[in-house]
Amino acid sequence: MADYREMWENLNMDLEKHDVLCEALPEMFGETFLNQENRPDGMNYFNYVTAEIHGARIMELEKHRKEGGKVVGAFCVFVPDEIILAADAISVGLCSGSQFWIEDGEKVLPRNLCPLIKALTGAKVSSTCPYFQSCDILVGETTCDGKKKVWEILNEYTPVHVMELPQMKREENYEMWMNEIKLFMDKIEELTGNKITVEKLKEAIELNNEKRRALKRLYDLRKNKPSPISGLDSLLISQIAFSDEPRRFTEKVNELCDELEEKVKTNTSTNKKRIMVTGTPMALPNWKLHSIVEELNAEIVVEETCTGTRYFENEVSTNGDTMEELIKNMADRYLDINCACFTPNKGRVEDILRYAEEYDVDGVIYYNLSFCHTYAVEYNNVEKSLRDNNIPVLMIETDYSEEDSGQIKTRVEAFLEMI
Amino acid sequence: MEKNYILFPASSYGIKLEKLLKAKNIKYTISPTPRSLSKSCGISIMYNKTDEKTIKSIVDENTIEIIGFYTID
Repeated sequence: MADYREMWENLNMDLEKHDVLCEALPEMFGETFLNQENRPDGMNYFNYVTAEIHGARIMELEKHRKEGGKVVGAFCVFVPDEIILAADAISVGLCSGSQFWIEDGEKVLPRNLCPLIKALTGAKVSSTCPYFQSCDILVGETTCDGKKKVWEILNEYTPVHVMELPQMKREENYEMWMNEIKLFMDKIEELTGNKITVEKLKEAIELNNEKRRALKRLYDLRKNKPSPISGLDSLLISQIAFSDEPRRFTEKVNELCDELEEKVKTNTSTNKKRIMVTGTPMALPNWKLHSIVEELNAEIVVEETCTGTRYFENEVSTNGDTMEELIKNMADRYLDINCACFTPNKGRVEDILRYAEEYDVDGVIYYNLSFCHTYAVEYNNVEKSLRDNNIPVLMIETDYSEEDSGQIKTRVEAFLEMI
Repeated sequence: MEKNYILFPASSYGIKLEKLLKAKNIKYTISPTPRSLSKSCGISIMYNKTDEKTIKSIVDENTIEIIGFYTID
């Protein structure tokens, strides 16, 4: 990664600290991903993206900015990418999945807070994330308390546009959300100097829908027994979806799916237990749970998370010829996401039960990032519904550190033996 | 277990070689460069020892810039 030192310097990064972060990647990635057996050749593109995670893509962002383009950083699946794309800006999901950033995050945030929020803050505060350093603006949302307040801190470093996500899904909430999307559009137009036209927006909607379709195609292939791709690889792809160039990413996912469709024809059955993970998102490079589970006699076949089904399920409709209609279509699709920050959130339980059946799972692991209240409280309902349907569930509340990995492994082992 | 790597002065050479290996159906894996080998350039190509001779001729015939072929345990 030494080739990129000049570029990183120009981004005002802390090179020394960044070196320490980069030290760990090759071994960690190699151990977690490259030792998997029978890995599809199509994963080579995603190996490349990960190996070049602070290099190649950052160069693309730099080139875009040199040509007058803007880069918008986001953290959440509620942010309508289509708006960013339609204004010819680049949207990037921001780093928040490494223990490395927690210490710096805890310098400005309380310890008893979600690790994802602490990590994203740490990544900015420590100047060790080139994606953060490449952003002209950040988009925040009022999903949970932690997120809501952290924007105040990040705004001291980079301008943050906060979208007020409603807390409920009544008629008036949809109206409010539509207005938030309009405000966001105004902001992005102002930032880029580009007018978002109906044609450009429709194009952007279609582009994003194609990406969603490709991911859905990938996930549908995991319904096969056994799945032709590991949970780890699928998770990596879902994580990369947030910041890779959309057309190229979609093309590569479809290429991989072509290969997997062939692979399925010759796959032999295994006795691996099929597991669904549901709960809080797993940001890059958080591969902790998946690597523990898949080292045992199990395969993770679906993730009902923001780095899973909640990212790609449901497309934005392209019906309509006016801006008002397209904004309504976006509002509808995005507000349909069944995140625990909404009340009530019955749709999520329905999704979980449906996926359990479609993916024919043997058990469910409920993944809760430490200190996340909304998902933790929802566990009660989800657990009851799964129990009523005779689907075993194991709740794992954890963060990014390695301290509890041994414990988690023991609990998952016992769970797998029981189901 | 032994692992064999080809290192490059820049990732673009790695991508160039990858295309050629793919075209000739030679099995390879793109990997982050192991720190023990080098601190430079994001990607390396892992290959099977049995393909080494073939890969070397492809590199020579196409004048692909490489740092070298390495094996680590």
